[in-house]
Amino acid sequence: MSCATTKSRDTKHKKILLMGLPNVGKSAIFSRFTGMHVMVSNYTGTTVEFTEGKMAVGDDTYTLIDVPGVYDIKQSVDDAERVAVSMLEEKPDAIVFVVDALNVESSVYLLMQVLEYKLPTVVALNRVDLLKVRSMRIDHRVIQAALNVPVVPTIALGGDSLDLVKERLARDLASPDAPHYVLEENELKRWDWVERITARALKPLSDNATIRQDRFAFLIRPWPGLPIAIGVLFLMFAAVIGIGMGLRQFLIMPLFEGIRIGEHTVGLFPWIRAGVEALGITGTFQRVLVGEYGFLIKGIEWPFGLVLPYVLSFYLSMSILEDTGYLPRLAVLLDGVFKKIGLPGNTIIPLLLGYGCGIPAILSTRSMRSRKQRVAVAVMISLAVPCVAQSSAFMFLLVEHSLLALVLVFMISVFAMVLAGFVMDRIKREPMPLTLTELPEMLAPNPALVGKKLLFRVRHYVKDGAIPMVIAIVVTAFLYEFGILDVAGRAMAPVVSGWLRLPEEAATPLIIGIVRRELAVLPLIDMNLSTVQLFTGAVVALFYVPCVAMIATLAKEFNAKVAVGTLLFTTTTAIVIGGLMARLGGLLATWLG
Amino acid sequence: MAVMHEMLSNNAFATMNRLEKGEEGVVYAVPDVRLLASLGIRSGKRVRVLAKSFASGPVIVDIERRSVVVDRSLAAQITIRK
Ligand SMILES: Nc1nc2c(ncn2[C@@H]2O[C@H](COP(=O)(O)OP(=O)(O)OP(=O)(O)O)[C@@H](O)[C@H]2O)c(=O)[nH]1
Ligand SMILES: [Mg+2]
Repeated sequence: MSCATTKSRDTKHKKILLMGLPNVGKSAIFSRFTGMHVMVSNYTGTTVEFTEGKMAVGDDTYTLIDVPGVYDIKQSVDDAERVAVSMLEEKPDAIVFVVDALNVESSVYLLMQVLEYKLPTVVALNRVDLLKVRSMRIDHRVIQAALNVPVVPTIALGGDSLDLVKERLARDLASPDAPHYVLEENELKRWDWVERITARALKPLSDNATIRQDRFAFLIRPWPGLPIAIGVLFLMFAAVIGIGMGLRQFLIMPLFEGIRIGEHTVGLFPWIRAGVEALGITGTFQRVLVGEYGFLIKGIEWPFGLVLPYVLSFYLSMSILEDTGYLPRLAVLLDGVFKKIGLPGNTIIPLLLGYGCGIPAILSTRSMRSRKQRVAVAVMISLAVPCVAQSSAFMFLLVEHSLLALVLVFMISVFAMVLAGFVMDRIKREPMPLTLTELPEMLAPNPALVGKKLLFRVRHYVKDGAIPMVIAIVVTAFLYEFGILDVAGRAMAPVVSGWLRLPEEAATPLIIGIVRRELAVLPLIDMNLSTVQLFTGAVVALFYVPCVAMIATLAKEFNAKVAVGTLLFTTTTAIVIGGLMARLGGLLATWLG
Repeated sequence: MAVMHEMLSNNAFATMNRLEKGEEGVVYAVPDVRLLASLGIRSGKRVRVLAKSFASGPVIVDIERRSVVVDRSLAAQITIRK
């Protein structure tokens, strides 16, 4: 699921930049204005790069730019924030500044820093609907008058309040005068000034309304927070497997394999086989189409029958979790533990994302404050976090033979991750950035938003996951039928048969597994392997090359050294550990009888 | 430094890491970390400890309904008047 990271810039149109604190709804507004989908989640650091989109204002077309949130223009703390500040430094033609109704004070402080650039600015006072929860209301005119900047109250998720922002923009962009903003020049006095404005703008809904304290503080206390965290993760795991298996068994596979109606089997695969036969295709070409690696069968079954159900169930669970605001709480809870391996608690977010796809996971590390930590997390993901496609392959491979082996593979994955983190921390010690952040409000997931996100991620999977998988399967089908895989298998026999104790043909997954993670697993399915061999194969695949797209991402995000280093490290680990597991498993098998 | 020491031995002051869950106070002195100001940790602000994470994890304080997560070692540099 790769995202384009090096983007071509639009130079034709005038630019409007969206700025504001993190997690205030910039990306939500961007989606509404441009019709483009960008990730919207309830935690700081969702957006880690800029995105450009077209937006019509009046009769003109502008380029709207969504950037990561920042706290302080004068001191960006991570790569993501630097992206935002550099965009501002490029002097866009106008700014839409998003003030968070739940966090007026810091928003207005940042707004003043942005107004110093003297660019036409319209303020969207967003998330005003959420003030109700706090029994508060806000008078936007106070901010408007205090700073002499247009302020429009908005709700980014629905309604037409955003139209007013556009109208104001159209008016401001039409007037040629340089805007004049009222600013408190003395930096030291600024906070006092901002506090006074905020106090004037925010009012309780009624006189006797009590300000409610955080009802969700229990989630971040070790008790009962920790048991709840374990429960939530377990529930997510169960939901992913349960929903995925259900979809596969009761919906998708019946459509593919067919259901018996009277004497006929009605379904996709029977039709395909009949079709190939009817066309009179025989011999090698028949096998390329519908044989061992026949791509009309495997090319549909693997990406859509096997992986897609789990893509759906994983991203459904993940999207819901992202929108609640629970993830940053989990991060805080685990912060002390993660520090033991030199990483911040919010490492948990890239790791969890990695169980979907490693590429967005590696990109999301941009909001981490140290490069060393970024590399460490990227290596952990490349080495030991199986993506959803590979996990579904493990499940399919092992579930019927040995549930124990399946559980062991996932346990080894977690163990290796921790060990890798620990070792990397020891290799290069450096002072750790301090944990300093804020928790987003807990929100009920918005079904429409979750649905859109799910759709977006599934489309991404089809485009960047399923299609490369199909192409790889087509190529494999030819290589296999023309005997090239046999030759390669004999060449690799010392490693594959000698060291890993797998049949020669198990060279195939090692060859095509370079392309995609799950392809290092799937060919093992039809090889009649013993449980120990299946387990060995799975462990090798787990640590093996993390797919070409991820290697490319590592090179782009860091450098060629990191990419090549990771490639060598993961491959070596895979072969060494695989061989050890084959022997250990052998002993265990004889011991168990 | 001496003044600081005297203040802390006085029961009216404590560093933020010393506050117990549920305890309240007013921020008195903060170290020179810019982000603290943006997160609302500025002198004069009322804070209440929502939670203290285990394994020397961060202290989470409520400041005017914001939940701010502060590293334990940074909390040790923030003085609170109880
Ligand atoms: N209730 C409500 N929720 C909103 C509104 N606008 C945004 N949200 C929610 O606020 C959260 C943050 O939205 P994003 O669009 O991801 O915020 P962002 O400013 O792009 O955040 P970063 O990319 O992390 O800087 C999400 O959970 C949104 O669903 C709004 O007007 N009302
Ligand atoms: Mg965003």
